[in-house]
Parts: sequence; structure tokens; C-alpha cells
Amino acid sequence: MGSAAALALPLASWSSERRRPRIAALTTIYHKYSHSQHIIDRFLEGYGWKGGHHHPPMDVVSLYVEQVGENDLSRERARRHPGMRIYPTIGEALTQGGTQLAVDAVLLIGEHGKYPVNAKGQTLYPRYEYFQQIIDVYRRCGRTAPIFNDKHLSWNWDYARQMYDTSRELGFGFMAGSSLPVTWRQPSVELPYGARVEEALGIWSGWLDGGDFHVLEALQSIVERRKGGEHGVRAVQAFRGEQFWKAFEAGSWEAGGWDPKLLEAALSRSNQLSSPKASYSNALPSTADLRRMAPDSYAYRIEYSDGLKASIVQFKGGVVGDCNVAARLKDGSRFSVQFYLPYYSMRNFFSPLVNHIETLFLTGKSPYPVERTLLTTGLTAAGIESLHQEQRRLETPHLGISYKPTRHSTFWRS
Amino acid sequence: MKLDRRRFLSLMGTTAMAGGVSPLLAAPSPTKRIALITTVWTYQSHAQHMGDRFLVGYPRHGRWHQSSLQVVSAYVDQKPAGDLSAQRAAAHGFSVYPSIPEALRLGGSKLAVDGVVIIGEHGDYPRNHKGQILYPRYEFFQHVTKVFESEGRSVPVFNDKHLSYSADKARLMVEASRRLRFPFLAGSSLPVTWRLPPVEIPYNSKITEALMVGVGGSDPMDYHALEAMQCMVERRHGGETGIKSVQMLEGDAVWKAGEEGRWSMALLESALSRSDSLKGDSDLDSRPQNLARNGQLPKLVKNPAAYLIERRDGLRTTLLMLNGALEDFCFAAQLANGKVISTQFFLPPTPNVTYSACLVAQIEHMVLTGKAPYPVERTQIASAILDRCLDSKVQGQQPLQTPELNISYRAPRESRFGG
Repeated sequence: MGSAAALALPLASWSSERRRPRIAALTTIYHKYSHSQHIIDRFLEGYGWKGGHHHPPMDVVSLYVEQVGENDLSRERARRHPGMRIYPTIGEALTQGGTQLAVDAVLLIGEHGKYPVNAKGQTLYPRYEYFQQIIDVYRRCGRTAPIFNDKHLSWNWDYARQMYDTSRELGFGFMAGSSLPVTWRQPSVELPYGARVEEALGIWSGWLDGGDFHVLEALQSIVERRKGGEHGVRAVQAFRGEQFWKAFEAGSWEAGGWDPKLLEAALSRSNQLSSPKASYSNALPSTADLRRMAPDSYAYRIEYSDGLKASIVQFKGGVVGDCNVAARLKDGSRFSVQFYLPYYSMRNFFSPLVNHIETLFLTGKSPYPVERTLLTTGLTAAGIESLHQEQRRLETPHLGISYKPTRHSTFWRS
Repeated sequence: MKLDRRRFLSLMGTTAMAGGVSPLLAAPSPTKRIALITTVWTYQSHAQHMGDRFLVGYPRHGRWHQSSLQVVSAYVDQKPAGDLSAQRAAAHGFSVYPSIPEALRLGGSKLAVDGVVIIGEHGDYPRNHKGQILYPRYEFFQHVTKVFESEGRSVPVFNDKHLSYSADKARLMVEASRRLRFPFLAGSSLPVTWRLPPVEIPYNSKITEALMVGVGGSDPMDYHALEAMQCMVERRHGGETGIKSVQMLEGDAVWKAGEEGRWSMALLESALSRSDSLKGDSDLDSRPQNLARNGQLPKLVKNPAAYLIERRDGLRTTLLMLNGALEDFCFAAQLANGKVISTQFFLPPTPNVTYSACLVAQIEHMVLTGKAPYPVERTQIASAILDRCLDSKVQGQQPLQTPELNISYRAPRESRFGG
């Protein structure tokens, strides 16, 4: 990293000049159904929002695409939207080919594309590397702009922490994460702010790393509202194989598993629940059914610093096609929701995410704390590490992350 | 507590469910008995989706709800290859009877059920010259009410989807339910399924115009769309007043009517903004688009249909069936206060089709409480609108005055969608 002492810090930050913000979009790849297509297209084409077709009051002026394959859409998009120019490097995209930072906002979308997978099963998307290149320009130019980082900050905890620290050091608006916390919920409810939560559980369909992160973000967006606020996580343990089924049948957290009523609640929010019985289109699977249907499932059990217990159960092999979260409150009641992702032609769950990114770009401030994503990035890495270390329980003092969520809801309701 | 125990056992895999015996048999008797009267009980038929929920429970309010209604008998009109009724009867301890009266009397001499569920959808039935499938719902209903009349006693009845393909038969059914004083609930699952966003027309609002857009063939899917629109506009100031006239247009006449302002392009834009499944460019490369304004609609929709429905209080309502433009059902209404309300009636995917769980919960509510949670007139008027629109279609797309459709009612204030 460059010498901070050589610069007057914090750098001059984004200013609310009355012009349409100019955006640089930096992405690994741009094809149909890639995250960049979903996000950048919404800035270029507009999107359905609050009962109308909304055009963001800002312009993508530059684009960097690292991998351009046969199914690339970036060239077609640049042709139809001549205000957006494609540059061969991140530096040039940020300066629009000049010498100074020439954009007011940055989209960093490092998802999809061909990247190596490490021994733990993590795809090494170059988000940290892109981020460092952005920071180099910020430091060199003495000016910053807000950044949205799609999904987790990095596959690597140290990288993620460094990205977060740099954003704080330089004082620019930094937003990150999944679309799950901001998409529709069924039912459309929020955990009451300050609720006493004892235990929580999230389920989905078993996709190491990328999928883990989504479930963890969904779960975190619920439990972070609990009484006392968020103070991070002290230990994480993964379970798979026989250990997983032992935990599954334990019958409670205390016995080494999780509350089966939370699992029932989460399964009962699903619209895509595989039927355990031939010719029945919607039935609740028993444990024996689940074992038969998804033998290679795995789970992470998470011990929060304040005593909250949480688990994510990843059913590999298709038990549920949607992400559902349930929580047990101290009064014995259960809260449960599905994070609904409209998987049709347009993948409209990106619309609320883009709308929040617009807020970041217009105000310079993230509409919800990036610390949520810092924590879930660390949880994802810790879960995978525990799997890699033969399901050893890992103390996580580095995840003692405190933050205060917004009191108002930020998921899609209108 | 009995339900908790049963759910617990089910979850733990120790229940008889896995062994093929009904969990209902292992538990104390539920409180009410129902007869299921259906055309056909095959995989993914309405009878299977809805009937099975009484047998194996269904998702409701974040738990797996075991119904308090027990299917004790069934009548199944057609048993093609794939018939599941015999297997279900054996697995869940009920009998399939050869006639509707026998099903209602459990083969004895007295009405022996607490509720009747009529599901006359799917099966091999003829179509008439208007393209309507002649499902025998009215005939099934007649058998049921004959039993009621002969015994001087009635129980609540649910009728799936429209009351009948015929507006006249639908009216006779509603009249019979009044004469014999039984709770009568009917209709589509669209009014009670999830909405995106979860909005309702503010009760007693003045509405200036409403529009629904949907897809699918005539008679099956347009009915769902009409009833979904009805459950929104019935909340307006003064309540439902009935239908003054209808006209059904097809082809280029639909676009022309839009250009002439006979239906609102602005409301179509608003409705389409709620769609998750636009076709054309969005299918091609997933880009979002303003399909109402970008000139693509006439290219994508080869055979559009418009159902123009004028109400007796002057409200103009339109259903556009735009096959090729989208795959979901969306609604928009212009309120007199300037606001536009729009939403998507969300149909969760097959095979779960959990929207039918939302509907089964309403049936359960009616049989348990003896009160239909919303008026059957909603279904009657939607049935009649469809029948008269198809009259207009076969009469050269002529506008038809409909003085006989002076069906007025007040909607309940309470919302009952989602779950």
C-alpha cells in the first residue's frame, strides 16, 4: 500500500455537486445472467420500480471488462449506449483515459468469469485486486469516490479487512453485499428492532462460498436487529457427512445441533420444497427423507459474542430452491421469512440492490452498514476453513465486529 | 398440543408418514369432516394440489399446518391413467364413492360431512362454441344441494374457480346457497396469493380506472385474472355495483383501443413495471425494459385480447391478455387522488404451487367458522363477466349491454392474501 503519511488524509471525498454522477463500472465479465449484466444494465436501461420504469439519475461513463468471451454483451451495450466507453484498464476507466479521477462513483462487480478455485473450494475472484487498483488512483489523485462492491468483499479475510480499513482511512462511502437482504420477503415482515433473539437458522441449496455468503447475509440482515446490537462472532464450526447428520438429529443447539422447529419454520416458508413422496406435490420431508434426498448436506454453527446461536444448513442436492430464515425469540415465538428471488427473465432482485447503490452514489453514504458484509465475508471464510480443517471448531476473535444496523427497513416493500 | 406432537413426529421421521400410513390416523380425530367432489384426481390437478393439503398438511404462517379438516369421502368423476384417488383413499383412510349423494352420506342414509369441496377443474370435458370447457360444477353442485334439500340440512360448500362457465348457472348456484342458507365460498387462488408488493386498494377509495394484464388461454387463465382484478376494485367507494357493459376485442383492435384511450397505456406501463418475466429483449439477454413504451408489444403479442368491462357506477376496468409479452399477472389502478396502485399477483412455481395453500386455508376457515371469509358474489361476477365477454367475442367483438349483471356487494375490509 502507498504511504499514507505522504498524503493529506482523508482525501477530498465525493462532493454533492449538482450534476449527474458519473460511474465507472469494473467487472470480471459481462454476459447474460452475470451480476454485471444485471447491475450495469439497470443503470443503462432503467428498471421497474414503485410502479413505473425508473431511470437512475446518473450515467455509467466508463467500463472495464476483464474477460470478453463469445457471449459477451459489453460491446453491444456500449454500441447502444455511446455515453459509456470501454477502457482496457481499471486505471483508464477511472480517469476516462486521462490523468485524474474522472468519475464520481465506482461499481466493482467481481462475480462470474473463469478464475482459479483454491483447495478449499473458493473461487479467487479478483475483487481485492480491483479494489487496490481503485485505491491507487484515489491516492494518486488525492480524491475518492464511493464504491459498491458486489457480494462478499473477498474470498480472503485479510484482504476483506484491509478493504474495509482502507475505506475508513480514506473516508469514502463503501457499500457491499448480496441482494438477498434487500429483495422481497414472504411474508413482508421485519424483525422488530431490539427483539430478543435466542437462536436463528438459515437454509438453502448447498453452494459453497458464493451460496454460503448469500444465506449468511440473509440471516445476518435479520439477527443484526436484535437487542444489544451486533458485536460479532466468537466461534464457527462446520459439519458434514456423518457429523452433519448427527447434528441434524441432535434435536437442539445444546445437544450439538439446532432447533428442529426452526428448521420446520424455514422449510414451511419455501415455495420450492422438493417433495419426499412420489405424486405428492408439496409435503414436508422427514429427517429420513432429507437424508435420502440430500446426503451431502453441510452446516455451519455460529456462536455470536453475545450468546446468540445461529446455523446455516445447506441442503446439497435440491431440498429447497429458495433461501429461508427462521429465528426463535425469547418469548418463544418464531419469526420466519423467505428471501424471494424472482428468477425469471430479468432477475429483478437486483432492482432493490441497484436502488440502494443509487442512494450510495447520490449521498456518498451507504444506506446500510458495510460492516454487515465484512462480518458475513469473515463468516463465509471461517465456515469454509472449518470444513477444510476437518470440521474443527474455530475461535474467531477477528470477527468481533460491532455495528449498528439501520432502524428502518431496507428490503423491497413497495 | 396434539398437532404439535404430530408435527414433531413428522419432522423426526418417526411418524407413520414415511411408512405410508396416514399421520391423521395416528392422531386424534380432527374436528370437521369433508367430502371432496372432483372431476379428476391426477398429479398436479387442482384436486391433487388442494385435496392433498388436507391429507398431508401445508405451509401456513411459517409452520407445517396439519388441517383440522379430514377428508372422509370423495367422488371422482373421471379416472384416467394416473388416477391417484384410490391410492390416496387407501393411504389416508377415506372412501371413494360412486355418486355424489353417497359421498355426502358416506354410503349411509344421512348427510355425514361438515363441509363439501367441489373441484371441477381438469379432466376430459367438451368445449362449447365459445371455447368454454364444460366442467360440470353446476351439475355437481345440484347433486349436493339436492341432498341438502332432501334432508333439510346444509353444510358449507367450496367451489374451485368460477362457479360455472355459464353466468346463468352461476346465478342459480348463488341463489341456491341463499335459499338453503349455507356458507358458500368459491373462486381462484389469485386473490389470496402473495402480492409483490403486498398492497391493497385503500378501502372506500375512489378509483377512476383499473387494468389487469395476464397470460394463458381463454377460460382457464383469463378467469383467474378477472377475479384478481375483481378482488381489488370491489374495495372501491360504494362497493361493487355490477356490470353495465362488456366488450371483448382481439388482434389489432386491442392496440387501436389503447391508442383511442379506451384502456390506459399509463396503467399498462405501471402494471408491466411489476412483471418479473418480460419477454422479447429481456428473454434475449435479460435486460430490463419499458415494454409498454418501447414499441415491442405488437411484435411480441401476435393475438392480444382485451376484455373491456364498464361498471354500473361508471368505473372502467380492462383485462389485457398478452401472450408473448410476459408470464405473470399484474394489476394497476388509478385512484381519484392521483395515486397509482400496482402489484403482481405472485404465482409460486410448480410443483409446490403454494398459492393453493393460501386458498385451502380459506376453505378451512369457512368450514371451521361456518362463515365464508369473502363474498361468493366476487366469484359470481367474475364468472359472469367472462361468460358475457366470450358472448361478445363470438358476436363479432360487439359491445354488449349487461343489465342482468346488476350484482352488487360490499367487500370485507380485512385483507386475506398471503400466508
